[in-house]
Amino acid sequence: MSLPTDVLSGAVGVDTSAPLARANPSAKLAVAAVLALALVLTTDVVTAAVALALVVACLPFTGLGARALWRRGWVLVVAAVPSGVFTALLGVDSGDVLLGAGWFTVTEGSAVSAVAIVLRILAIGLPGVVLLSTTDPTDLADSLAQDLRLSHRFVLSALAAMRLVGVLAEEWTALGQARRARGLGDDGVLGRLRGFGGRLFALLVLAVRRATVLATAMEARGFGLVRERTWARPSHFGLWDATVVLGGVALAGVATAAGVAAGTWQLVLSG
Amino acid sequence: MSTTENTTGTDPVRPTAPSTGGPTPTGTGTSARTSLPPLTGRTRTVLVVGVLASLLAGAAVVAVGLPADRELFGTPLDELTVPVAMLVALLGVSVLGAATARQAWRVVDIVVAAVLGVAGGLLFVVWNIGPYAVVGPLLAPPVSALVVGVWLLPGVLGGLVIRKPGAAMFTELVAAALSAVIGNQWGFATVWYGLLQGLGAEVVLAVLLYRYWRLPVALLAGAGAGVVVGVLDTTVYYPDLVPGVQLAYIALATVSGVVVAGLGSWALARALARTGVLAPLASGRDGRRV
Amino acid sequence: MVPARAGVVPPVLSARGWGWRHGTRRAWAVRGLDLDVAAGERVLLLGPSGAGKSTLLQGLAGLLDPDNGDEEGRLHLDGVEVRAARAAGGRAGAARTGLLLQDPLSQTVLARCGDDVAFGLENHGVPREQIWARVDEAMAAVGFPYGRAHPTARLSGGERQRLALAGVLALRPGLLLLDEPTAMLDPVGADGLRVTVADLLGATGAGCVLVEHRVGPWLPLVDRVVVLEPGGGVRADGSPADVLGRHGAELAAGGVWVPDHPPRTPPPRAGGRGPRLLEAQDLSVRRPGALAPAVAGVDLRVDAGTCTAVLGPNGAGKSTLALALSGLAAPDAGRLVAHEALADGAGPSPHRWRARELAARIGTVFQEPAHQFVAATVADELAVGPRLQGTDPTRTAVLVDELLQRLRLDGLAAANPFTLSGGEQRRLSVATVLATRPRLLVLDEPTFGQDSRTWAELVALLAEVRDEGVAVCAVTHDADLVAALADDVLHLTTPDPTTRDRSTPDLTAVDRADTGSGGAA
Repeated sequence: MSLPTDVLSGAVGVDTSAPLARANPSAKLAVAAVLALALVLTTDVVTAAVALALVVACLPFTGLGARALWRRGWVLVVAAVPSGVFTALLGVDSGDVLLGAGWFTVTEGSAVSAVAIVLRILAIGLPGVVLLSTTDPTDLADSLAQDLRLSHRFVLSALAAMRLVGVLAEEWTALGQARRARGLGDDGVLGRLRGFGGRLFALLVLAVRRATVLATAMEARGFGLVRERTWARPSHFGLWDATVVLGGVALAGVATAAGVAAGTWQLVLSG
Repeated sequence: MSTTENTTGTDPVRPTAPSTGGPTPTGTGTSARTSLPPLTGRTRTVLVVGVLASLLAGAAVVAVGLPADRELFGTPLDELTVPVAMLVALLGVSVLGAATARQAWRVVDIVVAAVLGVAGGLLFVVWNIGPYAVVGPLLAPPVSALVVGVWLLPGVLGGLVIRKPGAAMFTELVAAALSAVIGNQWGFATVWYGLLQGLGAEVVLAVLLYRYWRLPVALLAGAGAGVVVGVLDTTVYYPDLVPGVQLAYIALATVSGVVVAGLGSWALARALARTGVLAPLASGRDGRRV
Repeated sequence: MVPARAGVVPPVLSARGWGWRHGTRRAWAVRGLDLDVAAGERVLLLGPSGAGKSTLLQGLAGLLDPDNGDEEGRLHLDGVEVRAARAAGGRAGAARTGLLLQDPLSQTVLARCGDDVAFGLENHGVPREQIWARVDEAMAAVGFPYGRAHPTARLSGGERQRLALAGVLALRPGLLLLDEPTAMLDPVGADGLRVTVADLLGATGAGCVLVEHRVGPWLPLVDRVVVLEPGGGVRADGSPADVLGRHGAELAAGGVWVPDHPPRTPPPRAGGRGPRLLEAQDLSVRRPGALAPAVAGVDLRVDAGTCTAVLGPNGAGKSTLALALSGLAAPDAGRLVAHEALADGAGPSPHRWRARELAARIGTVFQEPAHQFVAATVADELAVGPRLQGTDPTRTAVLVDELLQRLRLDGLAAANPFTLSGGEQRRLSVATVLATRPRLLVLDEPTFGQDSRTWAELVALLAEVRDEGVAVCAVTHDADLVAALADDVLHLTTPDPTTRDRSTPDLTAVDRADTGSGGAA
C-alpha cells in the first residue's frame, strides 16, 4: 500500500495568487479557528447553514479549482454523512416519528439535528481544506514562528521532521516486505494485529535513530544556538491579512446572529 | 544564550556495540529505579503554595456553586459542582507541575518528539486507510469509541519517552497535523483534536509533576486523553444523541485510551529503551550502565 | 568549480587527557587522548569500531552534552573549550567547525535546497541581506547542480551529501569534521564528493579531521594519520606512508581498507552449475504506487550453486528487481517463473507463495538489516525461522548455536538485535535468512558501508553457501564483490527521464556473461 505523502510538497494545482490563497498562513489559520469555535458552540441548523453558505461564497477567491477542492475535500463528506445518519437514528427524538421503531427512530427533531450536524462538519472543515491546499508547509512554519512568535525551535523541528515522512513511509513498506520474507504474516487476524504492532515498534526504533542523527546535524549547523535567529524568508502580516482575519470573525458573527435571530441558536452544553 | 539546551550527546551515527554479550539496557522507559530530581527549597515552597491555591480554587467553586438551571447531558449543572471543582484543582496543580519541572528542552528532545509525532501521523494514515476504513463504518456509537485509542497513542508515548513538560501535547499535535495534511476523513478538525487529546494526557503527567513514569501513570495518561476525545466526539459529531449513548461513548473512549494508548505506549516505550536508541533522552537513562 | 573567495581561519586543535563516557555506558568511548593538530592540517582518524572516532568528532563540534555523559581532561580549539567555541560562533555569524555525517537522508532539514543551505546561517543570526549571497556562494562551491528552489525530496544520496556540505560550508568553518561522508553513497557519488572536498580544502585552507575506513581514495588528501586505541589514547600517529607502512597489516585486520592489504577472497567456484531455479523473461516491475515500471525488459536465469550480480547506477531499479526475485513484489509485465527445483510444489509464481513457503525457499537480505529484526534477542531472532517451519526445539537450539558460531555472534546471543554494531547487524541479518535453509539467497547491497573484515567474512560465507548448492543473487555497486564471486552479471541502465513514462520498456538488460569463470565487470 503506497501512502499519499506527495501532498506534502505544498500547494499543487492551486492559483496561489488568488486573494485568499496568498493571505498569510497565520491569517488563514485564525479564520479556520474562529469558525470552528463559533460552530462548535451550537448545533442549530440555521447557524451551520448560513456559515456554510458564506464559506462557499468565499471559495471562488481561494484559487482552488473545483477539482482541487474535491480532491482535498471529499473526505469531509465521508465523516459528515455517517455522523448525520447516526444522529438521525440515535438522536434525541422530538416531533413526529418519520421512520423506524424503538431506539432507532428518525423523528422530525432528530432529522433536523442530522442535517445540522452534516452542515456543521462541512462548514468547520472547508476553511481547513483551503488552508491546507493553498499553503506550503514551509511558509506556514515561517509564519507561525515569525508572526505568531511560537518557539522557532519547536516549529522548525516539526517542519524538519515532516521531511522524514517519505523516508518513514518507505520504511513502513519495507518492514512489511521483510516480515513476509521472514515467513511471518500467514496466521489470521490476531497474527496480523501482532504484525502491525511489530512493524510499528520497528518503525519507531528507526524513527528515533534518525531523529537523533537529524538533531545532531541541525545542532552542527547551529540550531538552538542563539535565541534570536534571523530569517532568510521574511513572513509579513499586512493589512490584507488583518482584513482576512476580520472577515472570518465577521462571517462567524453573521452566522451566529442569524441563528440567534431565528431562535434556533443554543449553547451545545445546554440540554 | 543558553548552554544547557544545545547539545545532544551520545554517538548516534555509529552506535557502538556493547562490549560484552551481557544483558541489554532494560526497563528504563518506566523504571521504578528512576531517581527523582531533587526539589530545591524554593521549588518546594512554590509547590506547597501552588497546591494549596489550587485546592482553594476548587473549594471556591464548591462554595459558590454552579447554576441549577443549566443541564449537561440531562444532568443539572449544580450536580456537577464537585467534579468541576476537582477539575479546577487538577488544572491548577498541572500548571504548577509544568512550571516547576526544571528540565529545559534540548534540541534532541524536540527533534525526537517531532519525529515520533511524524511516525505517529504515519500510523494514523495507515490506520485510517487500512483497518479503520474496514471496521469504522460498521461501528455505531457508542461501540465505535472502542477504536479511538489508536489516535491517542503518539501523545502518551511522546510524554513517556521525552519526559518534558508539553511533550505529550507536542507529539500528538504533530501527529494530528501530519494526518490532516496528508488527508483524512475529518480534515482540519484533526489538528484541534490532536491539541486537546495531547492536553488530556499532558494534564495527568503534569499533575504528577513530571516525576513519575510507571505503568499506572501511562494508563492514567491514556485515560486522560480518552476522556477528552470522548467529550469532543460527543460534542462535535454526536451532540444530539441521547445522553445515555453519549455517556457510554465517553466511558468506552476512556477504556480504549487506557488499553491502547496507555498500555500500548508503555509497552512500546519499554521496548524502545531496550534497543538503546533512547540513550540521549531522559527515559534512556536509569543510572545503569552497560 | 570553486570560485575564488576569502580563505578561512583554521583553528589549532589540542586535546589533553581528554575522555568521554556516554551516560548509558560503563566503558569510556575515548580516554586519555593527547593530540595536537596544527592549523590547516588534514588528519585521517582510524581505529577499530568502538574506538570513539565519531565521539571525538562530535566533541570537536561542541555537541557532546554534559547532561548525557562524563568528561575528563580538556578539548580546545585555539585555546578555547569546544562548547564555548561553538557558542562564540553563534555570536560571530560563522562556525568554528563544520560536521558532515554519514547518513544523507537524516541530514536534510528543509524542503527547498536554498532554504536548507540558509538554515545554518539563520541559526547563527547572520543578517538577512547577507544570507542569500552566502547561500549561492556555498552552493556554487560544492558544484551543486540545481537552483535554490529545487525540492530536496528529489535529490539522490550523493546530491544530498553535497547539499549538506554546502550548508556546513556556508558557515565558513576553519575545520571540517567528516564522519564517513561517503560510506552510504554509490561509487560515482562518493568520487564526486571526495573531489569536491579536496577542491574546497585547497581553495579555503581549512583543516580537516576525517573518519573513514575506505582510506585508499582519501590518502592523497591527508597529511597525517592518527590511529586511536580502543582502550584509550593514540596507537599510531604520523604521515600516511609511515603509519600505513608500519601498521598496515594490523589496521587491515581491524577492518580498515588498507590499499596494500586487500581482504582475503575465497577460491573460485569449485562445483558445476546446478539445476535452473528462477527465470525472468522480459520482466517489468513497478514500485508500489508508481505509474511507470522501475525496471523493465529483464531477462535473467538463476542456477543453483552460482552467484549472479545485478549492477547498474542509482535509479536503474535494482532494488525493485530484487523484490520481484524474492517474491515480495508482483511482476508488472513479462514472466518470472520459479522452476520445480526451487518451487518444490508451491507453484511457479513466488509472489503468490504463502510467507512460510517463501521463507523456506528464498532468503532475502535487505539493505537495512534493522528492517528484518522481529525478536527481542539475537538467539530468538535466529530461532524465528526454524520455529515457523515446525523444527523441533532441540534441533532449533542446535541450529541457532551453529549459526551464532559461524557468524561470530556467539557472545551476543542475549543481546537485543537493535543494539548491535553495523557489521554485527549485517551478519545477523544474513544468519536469520540462512536459518531457514533457502535454496536461493537474494541480497540487496550486502557489503554496503562494511569494514574490510566484515566484508571478507560475508564474501567467504556467500562462497561457502554457493558451494553447498545455494544460488546467490546480489544487487550491488561493489566491484570487489563482483570480482570475488559473480558467475553471471546483469547490467541495468538508467532510463532517460524524458522517456520514463512511455509504455515502451526503456531499460535493457545486456552484458550477460554466461561463463563459469569469475566476474565480467
